[in-house]
Amino acid sequence: MGSSSKRKKDKQKDFQKPKLKVGKTKAKPDNYTDTSFKAKSIVLTQQSLHLVAPTSNATFTHNLSLLNVKSDSQRRDSLAYLTTTISSRPVNSPLPQPVSVILPSLLPLILDGSTSVRTQLLKLLRTLPPGDIEDHVAQLLPYVRAGMTHLGADIRSSAVEILSWMIEAAGESTVSCAGGWIKTLNCFLSVLGWHTEESSQWSSTRASFGKSGTQGKPMVKTLGALALFLDSGIGKPFTGDADNEMSGEDESADWPFPISQTAQHMISDSSTPFAYLNLFGKPRDEEGEMYETREDRFRVFATRFQPAIERGLKSAREEGGEIGRASSGVSKVLKEAIAYGPGP
Amino acid sequence: MVKRKLGALEKVEADLPNLQHKIRRDPKSYIEDFRAQHYQYESHREIFMAAPSSATDTGVISLRDLIDFISHVADCYPDICKDFPQQLIDMLMQHHLLLETELREKLVGSLVLLKKKDIIDSATLLHTLFPILVSTPSKTLRALLFQKILSELRTANSKTTNHKLNRTMQTVLFNLVTSDRTSAKGLWAIKITRELWKRQIWTEAKAVEVMKEAALSLNEKVVIGGVRFFLGGDKEREELEDEESDEEVSVGQVKHQLTINKKTRKKARVAEKAIKAARNKERKKGNPNPLNFSALHLLHDPQGFADNMFFKHLQNGKSKLNLEQKLQVLQLVSRLVGLHKLHIMPLYSYFQKYLTPRQPSVTSFLASLAQASHDLVPPDVLEPLVQKIANEFVSEASAGEVATAGLNAIREICARQPLAIEETLLQDLVMYKKSKDKGVMMASKGLLSLYRDVGAQMLKKRDRGKEAAMSLRAGERQERRYGEQAVGEIQGLELLAKWKDEERRKKNIENGLPSDAEDDEVENDEADWAAWNVEDDSDSDVDGEWINVEDDVDIVLSDSEDEGKPASKKAKQEEEAKKDAEKESEADKVIDFMKLATTRILTPADLAKLAELRAQAAADATLPGNKGRVAAPWTSRHTDDPLTAEEIEGLAALSAARATREERIAHAKEGKTSDHMSKEARRKERKEEAGKSSTNKEKARKKNFLMTLGKARSKNKRSLVETRAVLRAHVDRGKRGGRRGNVGQ
Repeated sequence: MGSSSKRKKDKQKDFQKPKLKVGKTKAKPDNYTDTSFKAKSIVLTQQSLHLVAPTSNATFTHNLSLLNVKSDSQRRDSLAYLTTTISSRPVNSPLPQPVSVILPSLLPLILDGSTSVRTQLLKLLRTLPPGDIEDHVAQLLPYVRAGMTHLGADIRSSAVEILSWMIEAAGESTVSCAGGWIKTLNCFLSVLGWHTEESSQWSSTRASFGKSGTQGKPMVKTLGALALFLDSGIGKPFTGDADNEMSGEDESADWPFPISQTAQHMISDSSTPFAYLNLFGKPRDEEGEMYETREDRFRVFATRFQPAIERGLKSAREEGGEIGRASSGVSKVLKEAIAYGPGP
Repeated sequence: MVKRKLGALEKVEADLPNLQHKIRRDPKSYIEDFRAQHYQYESHREIFMAAPSSATDTGVISLRDLIDFISHVADCYPDICKDFPQQLIDMLMQHHLLLETELREKLVGSLVLLKKKDIIDSATLLHTLFPILVSTPSKTLRALLFQKILSELRTANSKTTNHKLNRTMQTVLFNLVTSDRTSAKGLWAIKITRELWKRQIWTEAKAVEVMKEAALSLNEKVVIGGVRFFLGGDKEREELEDEESDEEVSVGQVKHQLTINKKTRKKARVAEKAIKAARNKERKKGNPNPLNFSALHLLHDPQGFADNMFFKHLQNGKSKLNLEQKLQVLQLVSRLVGLHKLHIMPLYSYFQKYLTPRQPSVTSFLASLAQASHDLVPPDVLEPLVQKIANEFVSEASAGEVATAGLNAIREICARQPLAIEETLLQDLVMYKKSKDKGVMMASKGLLSLYRDVGAQMLKKRDRGKEAAMSLRAGERQERRYGEQAVGEIQGLELLAKWKDEERRKKNIENGLPSDAEDDEVENDEADWAAWNVEDDSDSDVDGEWINVEDDVDIVLSDSEDEGKPASKKAKQEEEAKKDAEKESEADKVIDFMKLATTRILTPADLAKLAELRAQAAADATLPGNKGRVAAPWTSRHTDDPLTAEEIEGLAALSAARATREERIAHAKEGKTSDHMSKEARRKERKEEAGKSSTNKEKARKKNFLMTLGKARSKNKRSLVETRAVLRAHVDRGKRGGRRGNVGQ
C-alpha cells in the first residue's frame, strides 16, 4: 500500500499547477536552458542589399564561383549561364573574365560525375576563343587524361570529346606540350585496350570492369579522336598555318630585304617561348618531356607505339562494322605519316 | 520500401574497392583496368604537383582514393608500380606541410602498407617517417607517425631481434640528440627509446647511450626526459611485464566455456588462440631468461656521466632547471654515486647549503644525500654533513616529524658508511629513544639497532644489548676500517648447508642407522653423493637433459678430487656435532658452509633449492609469531633500489601532533564497512548480489496487501466441507511432493 500511494503522489506532482505570485517573476520550468552568452563583440555579416541590379560582369563572376557547389543542377545552370553570356557577347569584344581566370574553375568539371554538367561544359569550352586556349593546353591535358582513364565510361567518352575539341582548337600545342605526346598516347592505348598483344585480340577473354556507358559507341568516338590526334602529331605537314616554320617564312615576307632576318630576333608571339628549357619546373622524365617537332614525335611513336597501334588497328578492322570503318580512318592517317617518314 | 540512396561513386560505376577486390582474385585479367587506374593516378598526381597547396576537389575520385587503391594492389603488378613508393615518399617529404590532413594520413598509411607487403624495407620507411616526425608542426600527424614508427620497430623485432635496423635507428636517435643540444627535438628520441625499452625490444647499451646524451642536453625538457628514464625506466619495464603475464586467459576456463556456451567460429578461434599462447608461454619458460640489465648498469663510464651531470646541471649557476627538476637530477647523480661507488667530492659540499628544515622538499635532499654515501666515501667528508643534520633537525625544540626525518637520514647515511658519525654525537642521538614522540623514538631506535650491528663499541655499554656485548667481549666483532671489504659469500649458502645436513640425517634414519651414525662413513657418503644428485634431479623443474650433463661434470669433478678428504672432514664435523651439538660455534658454521661453496660445484638444482630456501627464510622472518629478530629495513632492501623521500619521512605520521581527530578516526575506520547491518541482512544482500532467487516464503511476505485481500475474504466464507477439501488437498500435495509431484525425477 505504501509504495503505491507514494507513486500516486509522485505522479500528482507532475501535474500540479505552479503558483503565481504577484510582483515575482514566473518560476523557470525544470527543463529551462540558459541560452544567454557573453561576447566581447558581435559581428553581423554585411548583407548584400543593393538598390541597383548587379552588373553582368558581377553575375558572371558569381556564376563562376557557383561552379563548385554540391548540387548538380546548380552547376549545370551556372555553366549554361556562362555559355550564353560568352556566346551572346558582341563580336570582337573581350570576355567578361580572361580565360586564365575562367579555366581553373572549369577544369575539375571535366571529371564531374553528372553527365549533363559535362555536356554543358563541352558547350562552354566550344564558345571560348581558340586562340586563348593554346596557352592553357598544358593545364587542361592532365584533367583530360585523368578523364580518359576514369572508371566511369561516360566520363571517359566525354573526356575524349573534349580532347577532340582541344585538337581542333589548338592541335599543335596539344601534341607538343609537356607530357602531351607520350602520356596521351598511353591513355589512348589504355582506353582502347591495345597495350598488350593478348588484350588487343578481339577474341580475348578480357574481363572488362565497370558498366559500359549510356552514350554508346565510345570505341568509335575514341578512334576518331585518335585519328585526329595522330594527324596533328605526326601527320604530313601541309603548307598551311599549322606548321611553325612555314608561318615563320610567311612572316619574313613582311620584312624587306636588308632586315629579312629580323623576325628571328623579335619577341616570340607564343606565351611561353622558353618552356622547353623547363627552368622552373621539376625535372621531367622521358614521358613528361616536350616533343616539339614532328621529327621527335615520329621517332618516339615509331619506337614505342607503332607496333601496338598497328596490331590494334588490325584487330579492329577484323571486327568490322562501325569500329572497322572508324579504324580505317586511323589507318589512313597512319599510312600517310609512315609514308612521309621521319621528316625531310 | 525506401529507395536506397546511391553514393556518388556508385552512380558512375567507379567503384574502386570493387575493382580492388577483383584484382586481388585475378590480377592477370584486370591488368588493363589497373593500368588505366595507374594512368589516372599519374594524371591526378600531376594535377596535384602543379599546385600542392590548393587542393582542388577533382570530381568523384580523389587522389587519396587512388593512392589507397594502388597501394593495396601494388604487389600484383610490381613492374607497373615500381616508382610508386618513391613517388609517395617524395610527395610526403616535400609537401607534408601543405597537404590536407586526410591525404597526409593516407600517404603515411599507404607507406606502412607497402612495407607490410615487403615492397619497401623498414629502413626506408623509418628514414621517411622519422624526419617528418621531428619537423612537422601538426600534432595529429606527429601522433600518427609516432605510433607507426613504434609499431614498425616492434614488428621488425617480433620474430628475431633485427640488430641492423635497431643499430641504424639508434644511431639516428643518437645523432638527433647530439646534433643540436639546445633544441627540444631530442624529446622524440627519448619517447621512442623509452617505449622500446619498456617493451624490452631495445635492451642494449646503445639505447642507454642515447638517453645519457639526452640527460646531458641543454634543453630542460630533454634533460628531464633522460633523467626520468634512468630513474623509472626499469621499473616501468618490470610493471609492463607483470601486466602482460596477468592478462593471459586461462586455457582451462576457455575450454570449459566452450563446452557450455553456444559454439561459434569466433569462440573456437579465441580458444585456439589462448591454447597457442599458453603453449608459447610454456616453451618460453624452458628458455634461459634473457639478461636484462638495468639502464644504470649498462652505462659506459658512469663516473664521467655523473661528473658531467653534476657540473652541468647542479653546480652550474646558469642552469635553467627549477627546484623539482634539480632534485630529479640530484637523485640520478646520487643514485649513480651510490650504485657504482663513484667519487664526486664537490657533491657533498653542495648538499651543505640545502640541509635546513626550511628548505622545500628537504626530505628528498636528505634521501639523495643518503643515496650518495657509500663505504668508500671518506668519513671526514660526511661527518660535517651528519653534524649539520643533527644540529638543524634533531633537537628537543624541533617538531617531531623534523627530528624523525633527521634521524632517519642519519641512519641511512650511517648504514652505508658507519664511520660517518662521531661517538659522542651517536650517543646523544641514541638518547632520543626515550622521546615521547613515537616517530622520533622509532627513528632513534632504528639508529641504535643499526649500530648494534655495525659498530657496537661506539655505543654506551648499557645500550649495546646482550648479543652485541657478548660478541664484543669474545672479540669476534671488530670495527670495520675505512675501505675494508667484507669477505665475499653466497647469500643463503648456510641455509643450503643446513638443509643438506638434515637430508643426510633423514637418509641415515631410513637406512636403519642412528641419525648421527659414523660407521662406514666414507662409503656411505659416496653413495649419498650420487643419490643426492639424482634426487636433486627429480626435484627440479628444469629440463632433464641439461642437468644430466651437469651431473656428469659434477661427478667427474668430485671423483677427481681427493675423495677421502672432504668425507673425513665431514666425519669430523659430525663427531663434533654429536659431542656438543649445542655448543657448535659460529666460526665452525662459517667454515662449514663456505666449504660447500669452495669444495664442490653447485648444480642448477642446488641453486634452485638455494633460491627456494632463501625465499622461505624471508617469508618466515616476516611472520608475526617468529621470535627471531625481524630483519632491519635497511638490510632487506636491494642495493639497486632507490631511497625515497617517504622512507626518510618514515614514521612521522605516527607523531601525535600530526594526526587530527578526523584523521585518526578515518585511520581506525579503514577497512570497515560503513553501515551496521545484521548478520541476516548481510547474508541476504550477498545472496541478492550473487543473483540468486528468493524463496516462496519471501515472495509471499512481499506480496502486495491488496492482492491478498480477495483470497482472504473468500477464505472466510468457505463452508466446512470446502475447508476440509482444501486441507486434504494440502496434505496430499505434501505427500506427492508439490503440485507437479516428483514422480518423474
